[in-house]
Amino acid sequence: MSDRLTRQDFLRRTAVGGSMLAFPGLLAARGAAATRAPFIASAARDTLPKTIVFSNWPLYIDVNNKKKTHPSLQQFEAHYHVNVQYIEDINDNNSFFGKIEGPLSQGQSVGRDVIVMTDSSGLPQRMIELGWLEKLDKSAIPNIKNLQPTQRHPNWDPNRDYSLPWQSGMTGIGYDPKKVGGTLDSVTELLTNPKFKGKVTLLTEMADTMGLVMLANGDNPSHVTDASWSRAVATVKKAVSSGQIRQFTGNDYAPLLAKGDVWACFAWSGDMVQLQADHPGLKWTMPKTGSMIWTDNMLIPKGGNVYGASVLMNWFYRPDIAAEVEDYVNYICPVVGASTVLAKTDPAVAHNPLIFPTSAMLAKTHAFDGKALNNQKYKQDFQHLIGA
Amino acid sequence: MGRFFHRSRWATPYALLTPGTAWLLVFFVVPMYYLAKMSLEQGLFPIFSFGWAWHNFSDAVTEFKPQFLRSIEYAGIATAIALLISYPLAYWIAFRGGRWKNLFLLLVIAPFFVTYLIRTLAWETILADDGVVVRVLKDVHVLGADGRLLATSAAVIAGITYNFLPFMVLPLYVSLEQVDPRLIEAASDLYANSAVSFARVTLPLSLPGVFAGVLLTFIPAAGDFINAQLLGTPQQYMIGNVIQSQFLELRDYPTAAALSFVLMGAILVLVLIFARALGTDRLTAGAAA
Amino acid sequence: MSAWRFVRRHVLDAYALLALLYLFVPISVVVAFSFNNPLGRFNYTWQGFTFKNWAHPFGYPGLSGAIKVSIEIAIFSSIVATILGTLIALALVRYRFRGSGSLNLLIFVPMTTPEIVMGASLLTLFLNWKIPQGFGTILIAHILFNISYVVVTVRARLVGFDRHLEEAAMDLGANELVTFVRVTLPLIAPGIFAAGLLAFALSIDDFVITYFNAGTTITFPLFVWGAARVAVPPQINVIGTAIFGLAVGGMLVNVLLQNRRAKAAT
Repeated sequence: MSDRLTRQDFLRRTAVGGSMLAFPGLLAARGAAATRAPFIASAARDTLPKTIVFSNWPLYIDVNNKKKTHPSLQQFEAHYHVNVQYIEDINDNNSFFGKIEGPLSQGQSVGRDVIVMTDSSGLPQRMIELGWLEKLDKSAIPNIKNLQPTQRHPNWDPNRDYSLPWQSGMTGIGYDPKKVGGTLDSVTELLTNPKFKGKVTLLTEMADTMGLVMLANGDNPSHVTDASWSRAVATVKKAVSSGQIRQFTGNDYAPLLAKGDVWACFAWSGDMVQLQADHPGLKWTMPKTGSMIWTDNMLIPKGGNVYGASVLMNWFYRPDIAAEVEDYVNYICPVVGASTVLAKTDPAVAHNPLIFPTSAMLAKTHAFDGKALNNQKYKQDFQHLIGA
Repeated sequence: MGRFFHRSRWATPYALLTPGTAWLLVFFVVPMYYLAKMSLEQGLFPIFSFGWAWHNFSDAVTEFKPQFLRSIEYAGIATAIALLISYPLAYWIAFRGGRWKNLFLLLVIAPFFVTYLIRTLAWETILADDGVVVRVLKDVHVLGADGRLLATSAAVIAGITYNFLPFMVLPLYVSLEQVDPRLIEAASDLYANSAVSFARVTLPLSLPGVFAGVLLTFIPAAGDFINAQLLGTPQQYMIGNVIQSQFLELRDYPTAAALSFVLMGAILVLVLIFARALGTDRLTAGAAA
Repeated sequence: MSAWRFVRRHVLDAYALLALLYLFVPISVVVAFSFNNPLGRFNYTWQGFTFKNWAHPFGYPGLSGAIKVSIEIAIFSSIVATILGTLIALALVRYRFRGSGSLNLLIFVPMTTPEIVMGASLLTLFLNWKIPQGFGTILIAHILFNISYVVVTVRARLVGFDRHLEEAAMDLGANELVTFVRVTLPLIAPGIFAAGLLAFALSIDDFVITYFNAGTTITFPLFVWGAARVAVPPQINVIGTAIFGLAVGGMLVNVLLQNRRAKAAT
């Protein structure tokens, strides 16, 4: 298998593969999105392609429910006269990676120009190491100056050469003050207070769970050592075997918290915004010892159209467009100026600290050590903790 | 015309099975070959090298024996409960359903129209810690004061049972519906009461359906992971969860492949034992004239 | 009659009713929650009654496309799998031929394969053979895993089939093809129908295998699982209830028409 396919080879083989199947009508109409040239620089670097393919997580962009459109994308299409194919097919970092690593490892394009993946999964870092991401065309992204200062130099992409944040979220303690008996801002108490036995859940996300535990142990999750890792593992193991921890969850802690089956848990800020709409009594706090922050990043997979993707990314860094998106998504906006716009149009959102955290709050957030995220032994330890 | 068919009789089975078998060979056996190769490789993602790494298999068994055994246990219990619940239902639809049989069958698979996640959320609502069901169970002291139904083995097994119920009902129905009611009449003419005629006429005739239903429930249930993930604690995790984690999180494809083959092998062995116990000829070869 | 006799007569009815109830208790919760009116994006706790979800069932963009794809794939894949599987079942039950043991094994093994492994290895195949992923590949995958279930189900029916009926037909002058079409097929039809239903159910609810082989196509389960990270809209309950309602309604109409035809014929 050659690593560099010519455009002819690729198209010819796709045609052969396609004709092997006896459903010509169906296939022709449905998704042959992979008939794009792989690993070839765009012929003209500064012209936009006819279609830009943008893969994202579901319900992660503004929606006009009546017209069933995404206004921010519609405005982009009108402004630049290009078509945006928006696909909501990312629902889990590891699964999506499992889906695209096949083509990428064989030198094929994945038929997408922009994808969105979370830094706390360790996968954007991995993809940079593997050479599976294109560098951004920063000359096409003047609005990068609007990027929040705290986001400018993540340890895994120090110059933002490959990534640009889409949304962020904080991981802290979500709880019901009535059940818990007051404020709960101590991870240690969450893990050890016998009153909460069986009413606590932690996250299956290694960076979030182990990060918060490390902070509670007085260790720094941005620089993980074997010693600090073992301490964190021991802490969690004790909580699991004592029956304190009910389950390890993805975001399925939310129904449990809402119904009262769970009294306190590690929770994501964006979920709490939604839960609080129906259960105003529920609270989210940053633990005294600090919280974790994760960021969903826009990336350009190899074979994507760099210029088109960069222009699209630039569009979402306009404060007014970012405000549109933020008003719907309600996670943490990485664009400076969006809150000013929203203060006029939707002050409730603009003043919600879970959506626009203060700099004091942001100062107490930490990102997990990128190298540790891809350390096989740590990952195995964590999987054993959660039962697999 | 009749003579033409008669002479080419030897070819008929092959003609019948070719399209389906070809499909399975191309889209299943070929990928399985690649999977088998992967199970003998070693390394760290994305560099795997082939090395006759048989230790993948022995490591898999030793390290994850609890989850293997647990999966067999949970799947077995869920299958047994599903059989107990489904047999009377299938019997009722077959014998008393009348013209509405197909409607009832549709009702049986109706839960699948609503995705698994939504069904499970509904169960989480019903079995919530301060919901009606748990409160009643606590009042009658089936559950302790700080007991719960969710996040327990019971919840996982119940989830598996519920989600595989149609797989048990439909094959049972298929077999029961074929039982000629006149045979049962004949039995009662010969002085058998309803229990005896059931045990000695209906039940044996429905065994092919029981066999099929047990297979269609146990086999996929043993590899299930989603029920343990949503309804269980780390103590309930099954081998499906392990394979999921090895594959997606740890990207340890050789181990995931080896685990899969061990699971597949274990299930097949159990199926063979079960088939022997029931007497396979009757169940698979059919009543050859 | 005595109370005890009454009970004994109806014990089966009661048991069946309980079983159906068990099947439907969560469904009734799902239907109820389709009328829920949450302020947030999660449909987890009861917040109040509303008809607006039913008024705008496709309020979430992408939902209508996803459900359409899922239904199409379910219908096509269950039909094709039922045909292929029934043919195999016929071959296995009625004929003795070389390789029948291996074929038996080949039928069972796909059912034992963990979904993630089947999905990922199928994707590898598609990539190696440069087959673009999308609707077609999802269809291939669904037919693949459905075949085994159809074979096992139809076989249960064929095994109990009375061959004397076929012999009688042939004695009366019918050749094999006619016998098959006019005697065998109608008698095994319930088995084929049940197998088709099973295949349909498997297909419409499949997530893992579909995810790996879908390319950029979204099916209903893919949409729901993907959306669940940020929202569980009541519209999902509406769609599920509606599909079920339509299917049951259609079946009901069918039965009533048949009743009427039967009455008219007498």
